[in-house]
Amino acid sequence: MAHHIEGSRNSCALHGALQVIEAIEGVVPVIHSTAGCGVQHFLGVNRLNAGADRFGGPPVSNSNISEKHVVFGGSSRLREQLKNTVKIVEGDLYVIVTGCSTEMVGDDIPAMTKEGRDQDFQVIYANTPGFRGDVHLGYQLAVKALIEQLPSLGKGEQSPIEGLVNIWGIVPHQDPFWAGNLEEIGRLLEGIGLKPNLLFGYGQGLTAWNRVPKAALNVVVSVWGDAPALLLEERYGAQVLRLEGLPVGSAAGRFLQTVGDRLNLDVTRTENFIKSEEKRLSTYLASIADTYYRAGFQREFALIGESAQVVGISEFLAGTLGLIPRTLIITDNPPENVREALLTTLTGLVENSGTEVFFSEDLAEITDIVRSAAVELVLGSALEEPVAVELGVPFLQLSFPLSKQVVLSRGYAGYRGAATLLEDFGSAILSKGYNSHISQESQVHTASESALYGS
Amino acid sequence: MKLRLGWFRKWNQFKTVISKTTALMSLLKAKSSRTREKRLDTLNAWQGNVSAAVTEFSDGEPVKRIRTFSQSTQDDLLYALRLLAAIRNSVSVIHAGRGCVAAGLFHQVTKGNGRWIVTNLDDRDTIMGADLKLRKAIKEVYHRYKPEVIFIVSSPIVAINNDDIQSVVEELHEELELDIVPIYVTGFASHHAVTGYDTTLHALLKYLAGKRGEHNKNNSVNLLSVAEHPDDRREAERILTSLGLELNILPDEASHGTFRHAAAARYSISLDQDTGNYLGITLRDEYGVPYAEASRPIGIGATGRWLSVAGKALGLDEAAVKLFHEQESERVQKALGDFNLNGVRVYLGLASATSFSVLSLIEELGGEVVGITVSRLDQLHKERLEELSSRYPVLQIHVADGQPFEEANIIKRLSPDLYLGDSAHLGQIGRLGIPVVSLEETPVLGYNGVIALARRFSAALLNRTFGAALARTPLPYKESWFRRSPNWHIKKEVK
Repeated sequence: MAHHIEGSRNSCALHGALQVIEAIEGVVPVIHSTAGCGVQHFLGVNRLNAGADRFGGPPVSNSNISEKHVVFGGSSRLREQLKNTVKIVEGDLYVIVTGCSTEMVGDDIPAMTKEGRDQDFQVIYANTPGFRGDVHLGYQLAVKALIEQLPSLGKGEQSPIEGLVNIWGIVPHQDPFWAGNLEEIGRLLEGIGLKPNLLFGYGQGLTAWNRVPKAALNVVVSVWGDAPALLLEERYGAQVLRLEGLPVGSAAGRFLQTVGDRLNLDVTRTENFIKSEEKRLSTYLASIADTYYRAGFQREFALIGESAQVVGISEFLAGTLGLIPRTLIITDNPPENVREALLTTLTGLVENSGTEVFFSEDLAEITDIVRSAAVELVLGSALEEPVAVELGVPFLQLSFPLSKQVVLSRGYAGYRGAATLLEDFGSAILSKGYNSHISQESQVHTASESALYGS
Repeated sequence: MKLRLGWFRKWNQFKTVISKTTALMSLLKAKSSRTREKRLDTLNAWQGNVSAAVTEFSDGEPVKRIRTFSQSTQDDLLYALRLLAAIRNSVSVIHAGRGCVAAGLFHQVTKGNGRWIVTNLDDRDTIMGADLKLRKAIKEVYHRYKPEVIFIVSSPIVAINNDDIQSVVEELHEELELDIVPIYVTGFASHHAVTGYDTTLHALLKYLAGKRGEHNKNNSVNLLSVAEHPDDRREAERILTSLGLELNILPDEASHGTFRHAAAARYSISLDQDTGNYLGITLRDEYGVPYAEASRPIGIGATGRWLSVAGKALGLDEAAVKLFHEQESERVQKALGDFNLNGVRVYLGLASATSFSVLSLIEELGGEVVGITVSRLDQLHKERLEELSSRYPVLQIHVADGQPFEEANIIKRLSPDLYLGDSAHLGQIGRLGIPVVSLEETPVLGYNGVIALARRFSAALLNRTFGAALARTPLPYKESWFRRSPNWHIKKEVK
């Protein structure tokens, strides 16, 4: 039984599906639910993410069902809404997504979709009520709908495309740096001679999605990309490559090597590319060394975020920058069967460091864990800012939700992302006053006192 | 999916309970307030000129219209969350699927407001009900935070299933000796989000203000501030306290005791006759607190009129009020310098009461309002419409909450020089290439509001490059839509 949650950051399945659809050019969501569902998504997701507004946001097409549709059924309202959306809103594909109310009423969405198809509308559907699960489920449901239903629209490409690689598991907006992360992974794959199929973001439309079955490899960045990759393996026999997390810094080099091995690429080309990227990163590290020592970058940190982010970022901070991962909190509820592997990876980042790993999406629980952790740096979402302030330590917003950052093309993936991460977390330490960690003990003391009176 | 055999029957029982309890007895005996459409004949879909609007409301109940294409819009649940975000020392338990609290996250991380717990109803709960889950959540947050009050906010799932919130409220109220306030929003029973304010204010008074006749009158004046900008609230407070009034401000920033205090106040004045209406009339009819309704104090003249209504009602020294107004007006005039809107054609897309008031501010500054989109139109606006129709009978009024496809169509035809709006779709309006000023987070009230607004207007008109840059991104609507009349999808409802 699902438990209640304080300060929920994982929204609902409908919102996850909207995040998928809004991140693909030319694809138009049609919500069949009560009027507020789209605005909830806009306020609670888009606005906490530096904004994203194509045909998403509050102008999203929504059947806005009323009492009579709850009592007598809302199918006819959906029929009318779909027909008029196609007439009014530019789009190559329309996707019906449902909310709790219409699913409880039992409106027949597949039948309505079929009716639309009979009128030559390019339309598919996904049942996405919030009572079925969170934003990650919504991502999976929408992606599944696209993979399964697009071919029946008959626009798939016939010939295989050599070196095409699909990337799965980066949930648009739930990873605030999704666009930048995808672009960097794409740049790296291009660097070793492949054709990345990013699927989301600028320039990514139905052409990209129709190519999905033709990929030689499906790269899975987080556990949420497993389902689509497995579906494609089953249907089209495409290879699957699972990453432990977002490849940040040298992990990106190892990622490229594995891809090269799998696809039998030119070894020299791959190695040369990795070498040049490593060299640039090393130069950045050398330039920051003075500040690193002076401001005491080598700190014990708490990191709160989604599993792929926590793995990737802490791996870089611990594996290259020498920081100590003290407390890692994973907020995206990964399935039980992957938790063991995550624990092994994360607790083994730095030998004898006593790294503790937690799984929670409850703000009260997360706050308690961070408060008692005695760390010198907190990296997390806007929700963790109060406890970081209470502890008196530097803080950087890097997971959803964000409230004080505008993110358009920045990312933390790859080599460029590693440099950006270094800039951002270094700036957080400097702006806090870099000797603040020295008086850490007294601050922890004050913090626990003030916690008694905290909000 | 699954069709539940029991819910239809339950739903009808639920509706019967509501209609029975809304008979003419104590307003607060009812489980919830009546919807705006039932109470005030409120319209949310309409387009025409001002004189037609007057006719609409003069010939008895106006005919309700619906849209055959609609875009997502605010609902009563969202407005309830917005109002609750501003209540101190409270915790809100949203009895809903997990996404219904997304807006709470927005209030929490952008304004530091509210503490939000969602019961996270799952598939099983939609069939079996989830009273136990609700009890557990309330007990846990109570023991952790010891708030003065816990709110339970219902949701579409709970309204359809008719989960029994009331017995949870009563049992835990006794057990925890804590005020627990249920707010029965549904997401679908009303077309007007503002119904969510009424529902919430109804519950706040019903559970926190005490029974009529048990209060000792106090000398304070209720300032009804419903989801106003903090600077606006402070401006009103500044004006009224400088005239010697003792204020009790609610519901914004109110705490548990404020409502009880309000029921014994000597007067209520509101900052917005739309949003504050239900609170004002309920305090009046239930507790005998007289209520003065005046247009929003936006612009120098309107602020003066608002102040004079308040002054008369409260028996303030007329000369002192007049002097204060003159001094403040002079200060504003000085700050404005020679700024004016002469020859500037303005379009307004604002909440109804704000729209009508900003209209007079634009007139005051010498500008011309060429069209307005208001979030709703009802009996509360009748007088204002009549007054407007005597001066501008052909002024176009568009009634819509969050329907930018219609607004974009209208604005394309009118091509105004400046757009003022408070909705969440200004990003789309901007793509029409006109200067846009957002009033969503800009203080507008009182003397200081005029100065703040004029600065924004001035900047928007002085440098229009961002609008031009935005215009390079087309709107998502087909060209053919712009050839249709803007009210094409507004139809009379077939019952």
